[in-house]
Amino acid sequence: MKRYPNLRTAIVIGCLATLVVIRFAAAQSGPKVMSGDVVADRQRLMKLNGASWADAQTKFKAGNIEAIAVNAETMAVLAQHIPALFPQGSLTEKSNAKPEIWQKWAEFESAAKNMQVWAEKLRDTAKTKDAAATEAVIKDFGRQACGSCHTPFRVPPRT
Amino acid sequence: MPDAMRFDTSLIPARLRASVIGAIALFCWAGLSLPSVAESATAPLPDLVAHGKYVFGAAGGCGCHTEPKRTLNAGGRKYDGPFGTVYSTNITPDRQTGIGAWTDEQIITAIRLGRRLNGERLIPVHPYTVFNGMAAEDLRALVAYLRTVPPVNRPNQPKKITVPLFESVFLPAWLAAFAPKETPPASAPTSGLARGEYLVRAVSHCGECHTPRGVTQATDNSRFLAGNPNGPENSRVPNITPDKDTGLTWSEEEIAEYLETGNKPDGDVAGGLMGEVIEGTSAGYKDLTKADRLAIARYLKTVPPIRNKIGK
Repeated sequence: MKRYPNLRTAIVIGCLATLVVIRFAAAQSGPKVMSGDVVADRQRLMKLNGASWADAQTKFKAGNIEAIAVNAETMAVLAQHIPALFPQGSLTEKSNAKPEIWQKWAEFESAAKNMQVWAEKLRDTAKTKDAAATEAVIKDFGRQACGSCHTPFRVPPRT
Repeated sequence: MPDAMRFDTSLIPARLRASVIGAIALFCWAGLSLPSVAESATAPLPDLVAHGKYVFGAAGGCGCHTEPKRTLNAGGRKYDGPFGTVYSTNITPDRQTGIGAWTDEQIITAIRLGRRLNGERLIPVHPYTVFNGMAAEDLRALVAYLRTVPPVNRPNQPKKITVPLFESVFLPAWLAAFAPKETPPASAPTSGLARGEYLVRAVSHCGECHTPRGVTQATDNSRFLAGNPNGPENSRVPNITPDKDTGLTWSEEEIAEYLETGNKPDGDVAGGLMGEVIEGTSAGYKDLTKADRLAIARYLKTVPPIRNKIGK
């Protein structure tokens, strides 16, 4: 190989370049999950979160404890996507996000993680079918899981 | 000791001597007991403190006096107004920088009448114009609770008033002309609509955010609770009169639940200042009894419905 040092370098660079091209092409041709309007996308996610939470409460009042787990799992998964839906400066007239999100990004990420943790806690508690334990989580969930982010980072809705 | 100065107790009749010894013993006993008497005078009863904490929660945890995620009641929260900028004060029992050296009456005077120790008027960002509707028993309990919070030595930040003659001329004139004046009840109502009205109007001071303000910045109580598009901290505060198109149409149970959990019937959850007062600090609206939350809800259903669409 000592006789062809330039050939070896060329092969390595060529392979790396091919990998990058393949990865890029795969990313472009993969399924498109988001619409491209990040504000609309995150509002859809929050609506889905709200609907899941409302349904969880309805199930609780109906005594359908175990069924709450699927709502909680939905919220736990959605929570993981929250930070990615708030790219720097994505503020439009339709957005209710506060600029504090980007000024206190670590706190915002932590609030999203907190939502995930609470949702997983609700999921796991609901799976036990223990109504009293689930009620204890549900009682605080809105304020602790959602409110702790809404309060500092969202302009309150007008209705 | 010279003999001339020596006191010969044998000269005192036995009965008198016994009386003197008894009196001295009684004095010593009383003297030894004095600290505990003094303590009982200054240490409030646990029930009074618990009631005070409840009142504190009903006032939303007096959150203006606590910066978010910072030390309870230590002040320093910034408020911008048309007159300039003020910072909430330290209301911990610290003697140097808080209210530790104030008497109960001085604290109550500040809460209800907005007067400092030196007679100076407080800027009515502190809502004394509605807190003056609080019953004396609730205020005494509230003060008892405030004294139990850990003291924090944190000097108050000076206000920055930008309007000339604001405090000497405009503020007294404004208070005389525009400030709403509540009348304190002889005792706090304990149930029914009267209880709900008392909480909404005075203790929980709902109108401070939910009632629109006129050009004078006084609350326009002819549109009580009709919402405020220019609320505190640039918030848009909803109309909570029972107007069917633009107001609060939730059931009483839903309102009561919202005040405890922050949960709205549509799955949304409270945020902003409402989220703050529900969560409170050491206590908040969430700690109100269900009876009180329902009393608030029932009272809200009785205020005149006012059509006033806020925002979109």
